[in-house]
Amino acid sequence: MDCGTCDTADPVQMVKPEVINVNLTISEMAKNMLSDAFGDDRSHALLVGVLSGGCSGYMYDLQIVETTDQDCQELSIDGFRVLVPNASSHLLDGIEIDYVEKLMGGGFKINNPNADASCGCGESFS
Amino acid sequence: MPIVALLDASLTVWRGKDVLQFIDGLSTNRVAELSKGQLMRTVFTDSNAKIIDCLTLFHMGDFIVAAGHLPVLDKLLNHTSKKILGQDVEITDISQRNDLFIEFDCENKVNEIGTFSSQGEITRGNIASNYSILVASKGNGPTNCDDFTEFNQWRIANKIPWNGYEITSSFHPFACGLEELVHHQKGCYIGQEILARMRSRGRQGKILSQVETITCDSSNITTKGEKISLAIIRA
Repeated sequence: MDCGTCDTADPVQMVKPEVINVNLTISEMAKNMLSDAFGDDRSHALLVGVLSGGCSGYMYDLQIVETTDQDCQELSIDGFRVLVPNASSHLLDGIEIDYVEKLMGGGFKINNPNADASCGCGESFS
Repeated sequence: MPIVALLDASLTVWRGKDVLQFIDGLSTNRVAELSKGQLMRTVFTDSNAKIIDCLTLFHMGDFIVAAGHLPVLDKLLNHTSKKILGQDVEITDISQRNDLFIEFDCENKVNEIGTFSSQGEITRGNIASNYSILVASKGNGPTNCDDFTEFNQWRIANKIPWNGYEITSSFHPFACGLEELVHHQKGCYIGQEILARMRSRGRQGKILSQVETITCDSSNITTKGEKISLAIIRA
């Protein structure tokens, strides 16, 4: 087999979406939950990313991080540091980060105007 | 053993630390468990669970080599490239550097199925007990190949679906006999909800069947044989 590793075959040109300056909002309920999570320490940030996978193709990835090696844009929203990877900025512009209480416990929920569809469990979107 | 050349096969290299997880999240089989020296087939499906491509993956250690169907390679790359986002995944098309073959009607040992080995310029992947895929650098493969008609007759007799015949964008994996490539315990992927619903309700719709060529509606026949053909028909 010739894997193209010796004389480096050119990689396939992939679709690289345009980087967008993201606007996002955080609901009051979500702010309360984030305040509880961060406490007084605002050195950490909320990383809002997107991974491939899930029933609809994309899954949200929410993490509390100090730093990240991803190429991100940093937003300051009501005193919270929010990091959005540039690679997924086109999917996250205009979102609202909400927090909802459910019978089986609460959780963050993303309301995304860019999503055409989402799966039954709400974990993924397309 | 008889060998046929696969003239419409694609071959791609997938590199990056996120590759296995990436493929796992977009296809039907539990690819994340694949380890070096192993081979696995998996199906990329769209949101309607219709097939985009069925890939045979070789875990080479530092990267994955994927054999698929050349006519749908652009569709596969278009489907996957939008999902890479910030993940460490890079795909290289090496179809023009290699020739692919199928050795069929062979007897692979049970412990060799799902593995591959290389000898000189040829890598042999044992897909099932009775057939293997051979990948050779351009011009270095077997020279005395058999006629594809003979391979199709063998496929009909053994009810083996194939790219471009049964494995097409018109069908979901259950319809064309690829049930074993749909892992029923893995997490979500595109098309998973539909396939899970079919499985849980026991409703598959059409299935791959051996039929009498004369009596079967010709529009259902996917691989035509003299007396017996393969067809995808209502169960």
